[in-house]
Parts: sequence; structure tokens; C-alpha cells
Amino acid sequence: MAKHSPVIGRYVTIDVDGCEYKVFYLQNGQGVPLVCQHTAGCHNHQWRDLLEDGEITSHYNVIAYDLARHGKSDPPLNKEWWKEEYRLTADHYVKFIIAFCDALELKDPIFMGSSFGGNVALQLALRHPDRFRAVIPVEAAAHAPGFFLDVWRHPHANAAQVCASGVWDLMAPQSPDKDRWLTWHYYTQGSEAFKGDLYFYSVDHDMRDSLGKIDTRRCPVIMMTGTYDYLTPPSATEATAGGIPGGIYIEMEDIGHFPMSENYPVFRVYLKEALRIISERTA
Amino acid sequence: MDLRDWAVKFSEASDGDATIGAMARYFTCSYLLDMGDAKIIVEMVDGKVYRMNIAPAPMDPYDFALRASPQTWREFARPVPAPMYHGIWAASFRKDLRLEGNTLVLMQNLRNFTIQFELLRKVGVPI
Repeated sequence: MAKHSPVIGRYVTIDVDGCEYKVFYLQNGQGVPLVCQHTAGCHNHQWRDLLEDGEITSHYNVIAYDLARHGKSDPPLNKEWWKEEYRLTADHYVKFIIAFCDALELKDPIFMGSSFGGNVALQLALRHPDRFRAVIPVEAAAHAPGFFLDVWRHPHANAAQVCASGVWDLMAPQSPDKDRWLTWHYYTQGSEAFKGDLYFYSVDHDMRDSLGKIDTRRCPVIMMTGTYDYLTPPSATEATAGGIPGGIYIEMEDIGHFPMSENYPVFRVYLKEALRIISERTA
Repeated sequence: MDLRDWAVKFSEASDGDATIGAMARYFTCSYLLDMGDAKIIVEMVDGKVYRMNIAPAPMDPYDFALRASPQTWREFARPVPAPMYHGIWAASFRKDLRLEGNTLVLMQNLRNFTIQFELLRKVGVPI
């Protein structure tokens, strides 16, 4: 008897700013759509344990996609993308997520993303508060400078290993070796996109002057950050949540910047609390 | 811990580490660990410790250096380091660790160096 997972994978083609993207996503569950964005330079396997968490998927339709240029989502099929340096912008990123949710006809989804996925969750709450039931920015902040570095894609070094080991201590030492090394493995696969992703993360994303404009009555914002995150330390997330009227901050003990991937049993405790709060606020 | 004893312990831990051994070939570089009173140049050749220079002279060469206060090095050596002392990136972003010299060589050897650095949690530091 084959040991099939209940998770299924599909492709959907969308148009974003004239770019034709064939987007790969994994899906499992029923109920409220819970759309999940991986971290920069990575792919949707970071959500592998959430996708198979029966307690969550019995109430939530978990959908984890690969952003274009990541995992099984190719660069734009109708462009000579190899002739330009990839730099992800906030505008394009937001449009991609909206187009993807529209293509799947998702009604009132919750959007959750980590790191650069968390930062775009803040952008979505600001720009499209009525398109989402709520957002869960994980390891996010209003501004996250300092990681748009040439070294991620330097021709004199093994970029796969530089990216994978360069984010190694974004994870907590308490997280299991097995999951930290899986996350490392995923990061070896995304080095060509990592630096371009970080253009959004560290340069184009700057919401320091617009946090107060987020309307959490229309779109609740529940932020969560791990104590071992040096890039977006807990103080940065707490200050960001504090700048959002009605924003909520949850600190996650003994976990780092890739919580859903490096230590899911710890992460799910906090995720369930975030989902409970959203359920109460949107009842 | 005596500096010489520490150097032997660190060398044995590194040379016997299976994760470094799994990709040892071409792990060749030299680096200075500046812990204040203790300074060591580690010379690696093809994944093995070639020499531990525990009394570097002013002109002894190395590719890159890690410099931090003794207190930071002691934090690195805890079995489970506190947040922001749990790696070279964390401590250089948030604490007093400085990465100097030809850091491209560090990046070229980053996988193995990162594993080797974490051996401090097992063998401690000589300060």
C-alpha cells in the first residue's frame, strides 16, 4: 500500500504586470483558506508540517505556493528574464499574491508569511485590507535593512552553500538537527533568487511611516517573532506591532527566523493562538 | 583551560567531525580567532587541521579574522548559547563580533567553517 500524503500539488497560470507565471502550489485541508508564503530564496516545503497537520487542516484550507523563480514556479515564461538582474519590488510582490488568490477564487483568506513573506503581509494589510480576513506576519518588521548583500551571489563562492550556511544561525540551536538541515537543503536550491528577494526585504520594503494607516478592524494583524531571530529581532517586531493601531505581537520562545520549518511543534503552539485570535476578531 | 590543551581538543573535535568530513576536500583556509588575551591562527588543509598557531607573531598570515571580547567568546562556548550569541552572523549583527580580512575566503568555506565554529559549544574556549 503506497504511503501517499494528503497534500496535493498543482500549477496555476497567472498574469502579473505582463509576466506570465506558472505557479506551483501545495494544498491540503478544508475551511478558511490559509495562504502561506515561504521565506526569501526558499520554497514551499518550509510549510511541509503545517500542510500535514490534521488539527489545522480540518478547519483550514492550507495553500503554500512557490513564488515565481522559486521551487517549481519558473521565472516569467514570456520574458527574457536572464537578461535582467532580478530585484523584487513591493508593488510586484503584492500584485502576484492578489493575482494568485484571485485565480484560486479564495474567499476571505488568511495570509501568513515568514521573513520577506511577513513583510509583504504587512504590505497586504495596508494596501488590500478587504481582500484578506487577516494577516499573520511572521519574523517581520516595518523595515529590515542590512541583508541586500553581494555575497549571496558572488561568482567566486559557492552561492548555494553561502546562502544556506549564511542563514544557518537565523535558526535557534534548540531546533532539531533534522529540520535545520532540511531548511539548509532548501536554501541551497534558491540561491539565484535570494539576493533579488532581499531587494524587497531590505530596500524596497519600508513601512515606518505608514503603520498607523493599517486598519486592523478590516484586517487584523497578528505578528509573531522568535527569540533567536537576529535579523528581525523581537524588539523590531514588537515596535512594529506597537505602531499598528490594534496590532498584536506574540513572542515565540527558543525559535528563530524560519519557525515553521526549523521546529514546527513549537511554532504550531503559537500559530494556534494566532488563529484563535483571528477567529474571535472575525466572528 | 590551557591554550595548548584547548588547541589539541579543538583539532581532535574538528578532524573527527563527521559533518565536516562529509565535505572536507578543498576546505583549505587559515583564520585568526582573536579572543583578547588568547589569539589562535587555525590553518586548515583539505578539511583537516594542519596547524594550530597558539602564539602568532605579528606578521603571521591568515585569510580572515574573528575578533570579539572574551565575554562574547565565553557566550559562544555555552552548550546552548543565548540569543544573538548563537552564530557569527547573529553576533556580528547584534553583538561585538567583527569579521575582518578577506571575508570572501570565509564565504568560500562557509559550510564547514560554520560547523567548525559551533564545536566551541563542545570544547569550550581557552579564556
